[in-house]
Amino acid sequence: MIVAERKPIAELTSRLAPYRRILVVGCNTCVAVCSAGGAKEVAVTSALLRIALGREHPETRVDETCVERQCEVEMNAELAPSLGNYEVILSMACGVGVQTLAEQFNTAVVIPALNTKFMGRPEGLGEWSERCAGCGNCVLERYAGVCPITRCSKNLLNGPCGGSANGRCEVDPERLPCAWQLIYDRWVALGQLDRYLTNEPAKDWSSSLHGGPRRIQREDIR
Amino acid sequence: MKPYLVLGCDRSASRALADLCRTGYVLPDEVEYRTLPCSGSLDVLYILRAFEQGFERVLVLSCNDDACRSLDGSRRAAQRSARARTLLSEVGVNPRCVSFRQISPTMAADLCIWLDEFVQPLPAEAEPEKAE
Repeated sequence: MIVAERKPIAELTSRLAPYRRILVVGCNTCVAVCSAGGAKEVAVTSALLRIALGREHPETRVDETCVERQCEVEMNAELAPSLGNYEVILSMACGVGVQTLAEQFNTAVVIPALNTKFMGRPEGLGEWSERCAGCGNCVLERYAGVCPITRCSKNLLNGPCGGSANGRCEVDPERLPCAWQLIYDRWVALGQLDRYLTNEPAKDWSSSLHGGPRRIQREDIR
Repeated sequence: MKPYLVLGCDRSASRALADLCRTGYVLPDEVEYRTLPCSGSLDVLYILRAFEQGFERVLVLSCNDDACRSLDGSRRAAQRSARARTLLSEVGVNPRCVSFRQISPTMAADLCIWLDEFVQPLPAEAEPEKAE
């Protein structure tokens, strides 16, 4: 899922300072699961904004709502009738949701409330880690299911480097396991340690964002 | 509007308060007391909404560790009170405006002292030391 976190309230209040009618719009999908932009976080952020903005301008109105998926125009259609009541939309979705609202309602001011961080998974309560960089050409099969692009601090496709010690990464030994130790352990568990010796050629990054904005078209379902 | 809000667990704080009131104690005029069925039901939003409504300070009273009938309620109340302090400090509210204490039904005398302290003005915050 897409993992995000809320921007500091001071940053939001400075962006929202010129406005008196604000609609906070959450998204009930990825950012709700990572406790950044679902209904609960929308309520908390709105309460904080009312306290902060209401001090100087008690007439400031901060309303809140949530859509199921802000990245889909059909789901945002329910917002249309009420948008005339607001000067600005504070979107608590990932960057995709923010852009969808801005495109869909092109006369509305849309401000992002979240910093979109990465594609990842929950590690436990209140902790998420990156697992996929969306490189567009998945090589997980060659690395025993451990992605060296996201999990190795140096993104090494042939590793490990000299900074791996006791299974930990020199960049942050407390928090980070060495991805290449994980790959080694997996090959051992799979009984395919010989694959560890395969030298990977340089990766073609043209399928990643470096190759320009990406788009998928499926004629069969259009 | 009363400026001070006490959120107390039904199993401990409310019983201690009832005990205290039987001695003739009257809750200070500026304090509103609300009972929580369990302090574990406390939500960060309860505290934020209180400040939104105009309360100036909130005191959360939860059961002692290991005395919570919901097992984890006291720990959750402590966590959420701490979270509320962090969030409120983001919008310039003194985090000491949210207090958290643990209490048992037999601690009426302690509750009396805490309520007296609760309605006293907060001590001025220490000025950060200036670098030479």
